[in-house]
Amino acid sequence: MPPRYLAAGLALAAFAAPASARPVSYAGGWTLMQDNNGMYSSLHAHYSPTATDSIGLYVEQNQEMDTTFTGLKYTRLAKRWNAPQSQGNLYFSLGAGAADPFGDADTEWGSMAGVAADWETRRVFVSYDAHVRDYGENETLSHAARIGIAPYVAEFGKFHTWAMVQVENTPDADEPVTVTPLLRFFQGPLLVEAGYTLEDEEFLLNWTWRF
Amino acid sequence: MKLVKTLALAAALTLSPVAGSALAETPAKAEAGAGEILLAKVNGLVCDFCAQSIRKIVGKDEAVQKVYVDLSKGEVRVDLKPGKSLDDAALEALIRKAGYSMVSVDRNFAK
Repeated sequence: MPPRYLAAGLALAAFAAPASARPVSYAGGWTLMQDNNGMYSSLHAHYSPTATDSIGLYVEQNQEMDTTFTGLKYTRLAKRWNAPQSQGNLYFSLGAGAADPFGDADTEWGSMAGVAADWETRRVFVSYDAHVRDYGENETLSHAARIGIAPYVAEFGKFHTWAMVQVENTPDADEPVTVTPLLRFFQGPLLVEAGYTLEDEEFLLNWTWRF
Repeated sequence: MKLVKTLALAAALTLSPVAGSALAETPAKAEAGAGEILLAKVNGLVCDFCAQSIRKIVGKDEAVQKVYVDLSKGEVRVDLKPGKSLDDAALEALIRKAGYSMVSVDRNFAK
């Protein structure tokens, strides 16, 4: 039985939409990431031993699957394309741990796998990610795409703002297709996203802290 | 639940301006007796975090005094400590360790 207090760490959650900005940091970097959406809330604390790998603890309270997952998650930056004015990334991730259904049902082994890609300039951002979750007797697939525009280009150290729209499809969900307009802010090591998922009528609040 | 959401939003917005973020710095002009200054062209510098990564990794090298990143030009200026050296291969390895690609390095721009 996974520690239930870990789920309490997700109490900051309960808004909507996966962020997962840069799931791999620079070599030696630590990152805390919280993703929240009407379907699940997650907390991911990871360490990047290299610029292409990260590993950490991942906890997810999934309202759609009625399960809390606690386990280890590994992410690999499979390919990065560095160009003079742009950068593209391709990530793969794997996770394994305990899937604890809400209520009294027994805990089972759970796993997840994902692929994500993004491309950005200092003005435009596009991304796509897809995840499969296998939490005991429950399985689900979800994928999402984002497009974002920076209304102004901020220099290093200044306050950055991005306006984004995310479209997510989870075929088994009560609302399979959702649209979330959101704003992304970041300055220094902190990134915050705030938005609203129209179909679920849920606010979104995600954050990432790198150190 | 609404109270939790409101508190979380307030905490996030409060943390933002006091995150201890690195302020943009203007590179100092080269002075007599100062260490060598390198200017590298780097690909992939499209975000603040890119600059942070470069500064963290390159700045840790014992030969490096200061690192400045210019996102708009895609340039990294590395001020070395007096008497210290950092060859092109070593600098390229550091930039690659940060996750970026060095295109070229100019060791004469400050002269």
